[in-house]
Amino acid sequence: MSESNRPIDINAALPGPNRRQFLQTTAAAGLTFANAGAGAAESPQVSNVGPDRVPRKALGKTGVEVSAMGLGGYSLADSPTLEEATQIVHEAVEAGINFFDNAWEYHDGRSEEWMGQALKGLRDKVFLMTKVCTHGRDKNVAMQQLEQSLKRLNTDHLDLWQIHECVYWNDPEWHFRKGGVVEALDQAKKQGKVRFVGFTGHKHPDIHLAMLSHDYPFDTVQMPLNCFDASYRSFEKNVLPEVIRRGMGALGMKSLCGGGSGIINSPISVQDALRYAMSLPVSTTISGVDSLTVLRQNLAVARGFKPLDASQMQALRDKCAQAAGDGHLELYKSTKKFDGKPGREQHGFPLAEALPV
Amino acid sequence: MSDLQSSMNDQRNPVRREFLRSAAAAGLGLATGGAVEKTATPPPATPERPGAPTGDPIPLRQFGRADVKVSALGMGGHHLGDFKTIEEAIAAVHEAIDGGITFFDNCWEYHNGKSENWLGRALLGRRDKVFLMTKVCTHGRSAELAMEMLEQSLIRLQTDHLDLWQIHGVTFDNDPELAYRKGGVIEALEQAKKAGKVRFVGFTGHKDPAIHLKMIQMGYPFDAVQMPLNPFDGNFHSFERQVIPEARKRGFAVLGMKPMNGTAEAIKKGVFKPEEMLRYAMSLPVTTTIAGIDTLDVLRQNLKVAQGFTPMAAAEMDDLRKRCADAAGDGRFELYKMSLKYDNPQAREPHHFPLDPTIKEVKDMFKGVMSASP
Repeated sequence: MSESNRPIDINAALPGPNRRQFLQTTAAAGLTFANAGAGAAESPQVSNVGPDRVPRKALGKTGVEVSAMGLGGYSLADSPTLEEATQIVHEAVEAGINFFDNAWEYHDGRSEEWMGQALKGLRDKVFLMTKVCTHGRDKNVAMQQLEQSLKRLNTDHLDLWQIHECVYWNDPEWHFRKGGVVEALDQAKKQGKVRFVGFTGHKHPDIHLAMLSHDYPFDTVQMPLNCFDASYRSFEKNVLPEVIRRGMGALGMKSLCGGGSGIINSPISVQDALRYAMSLPVSTTISGVDSLTVLRQNLAVARGFKPLDASQMQALRDKCAQAAGDGHLELYKSTKKFDGKPGREQHGFPLAEALPV
Repeated sequence: MSDLQSSMNDQRNPVRREFLRSAAAAGLGLATGGAVEKTATPPPATPERPGAPTGDPIPLRQFGRADVKVSALGMGGHHLGDFKTIEEAIAAVHEAIDGGITFFDNCWEYHNGKSENWLGRALLGRRDKVFLMTKVCTHGRSAELAMEMLEQSLIRLQTDHLDLWQIHGVTFDNDPELAYRKGGVIEALEQAKKAGKVRFVGFTGHKDPAIHLKMIQMGYPFDAVQMPLNPFDGNFHSFERQVIPEARKRGFAVLGMKPMNGTAEAIKKGVFKPEEMLRYAMSLPVTTTIAGIDTLDVLRQNLKVAQGFTPMAAAEMDDLRKRCADAAGDGRFELYKMSLKYDNPQAREPHHFPLDPTIKEVKDMFKGVMSASP
């Protein structure tokens, strides 16, 4: 690896060993990071490798490194109390997780509020992301949401601000229209309120590809990635290589098919499912955590994580290919179950009570 | 409109009935709703044509490669089971036949057999006047199960043969593979044809043109293929644009359904009049358009369009597509494509999809509602 190819860690407050230390470690351990899917050569650079450490990975071309596992914001507000949520955040930061996910619309703001409270005094230790939920409305709505998010999260800036839930077929058109949310991304960056921008969605690779086709310089793209996805409307096959080709940071989510509902009835263990997702050429895998038990279960996988090799990944894909074929394990793609209320309202779809799936 | 609609019945039927009444009274000056506002042209202020169906013949059209002709309007089997009583359903079938409808749709799973039972009763003494279709509901399961369903359908419909037997609800991405697998439902189609129990075979589905294309490209020589066809579909994940040409190239009879999007939401919101939606669907290069009919009013409304039917001009069809282009763009009016709303419990269960407690058929299942035997 040549000096010029290395990402520069501009996130100076990040804990953990410096890059030089990483290079020595990897050289000594002779580590290889073989990956299936988009290919080992394109995998993000990895640092902070060690038996008890959560590895750090380069976030696209941003020069920032983030923890290979991220903490999901939706599930955080599913924990029983603010106190437990706070404990989860603190224990995660101590363990070396620095990627924190959220969204303006999660639990009507509670997810952001709880995370904001939990991060008091720790803001500089984390890479903080939240999402904007215009669902087709104009950039003024986006900028208002940004102010709300900043207030709830107790910060003056976001590290990453993403367009949330691009799941309707006309979302790309609506987002890129004149006066749409993409203009808010530019504005927020210019104002120094957000460092990087991206978009998310869980529905269909073609919707992601349509977003990318506008050639906007997104820094990140978030998508569902797991061993079932590979056999059904696959983001891994159709979107991940394109995101990497463009030098964007790929953020994986739904490693357990969304709340673990899919995994429970599948031939795959939770640990294997998580390992599979983290072995893809992504910058981080955002995992929903609603209790200390789940956090510790996840950390047991993330600490000292070594990616599966290509044949191990193929074996996992093969094991679930048949069950994956109709999408019943990925209800976020095949049904309305995971589509939020603000998006349904803006797109004129019935709400969950009338249209649960 | 022949696929699952029970979930919407409580909302849809009163709405459409109400629309027909109020439209006649108010000269169709319905307010345009919500997001479609931008694109919807207000309906012209001409009053509803008064009076009964004309009594002119309904055009007969060629059924694919076969030397058979069927009426350009078909009567949907699901809605037949929505009539208040069997007597009213029977009266409607008789009036439909007298009005020139020969194509009758049904399905093994509609209303847990009630739709087939009622149609069977209604066709006593009239079997020879109609082209009778029903559908088989293996949803990925075996040819053996399909043959059992066929025997049940024949008993319920009180006949010794079907004119058309179709694989119902090819809806999930792997349904084509499951249909074509060894021991799958395609083998039952062959077996039933050889046994003389069905004359023609086909398949249906409302989800995704890509799934239809896969079924077609896997090569079985179907006689018919059924799909949702309406102005919204013309803009969005379009069966009209993607599937009709492929089906016609192979000489399959194209059967349209859901001419009013299954729910008539666009009519309720004032984007379209029911007549123009039905005329649009019937003006496509299809053999028949299957319309859901659950009252005599709706039957007569449809007959009025179908009797002496003349197709729309291309420019008018284009205008209808344009009128709904924006609203069509996210599928909000085509929930059969964008959600599981129209997928029966009988389709979901073999695929392990969650049931929806808001759907009438699921409520019925838990109530243990079963139809009376013939």
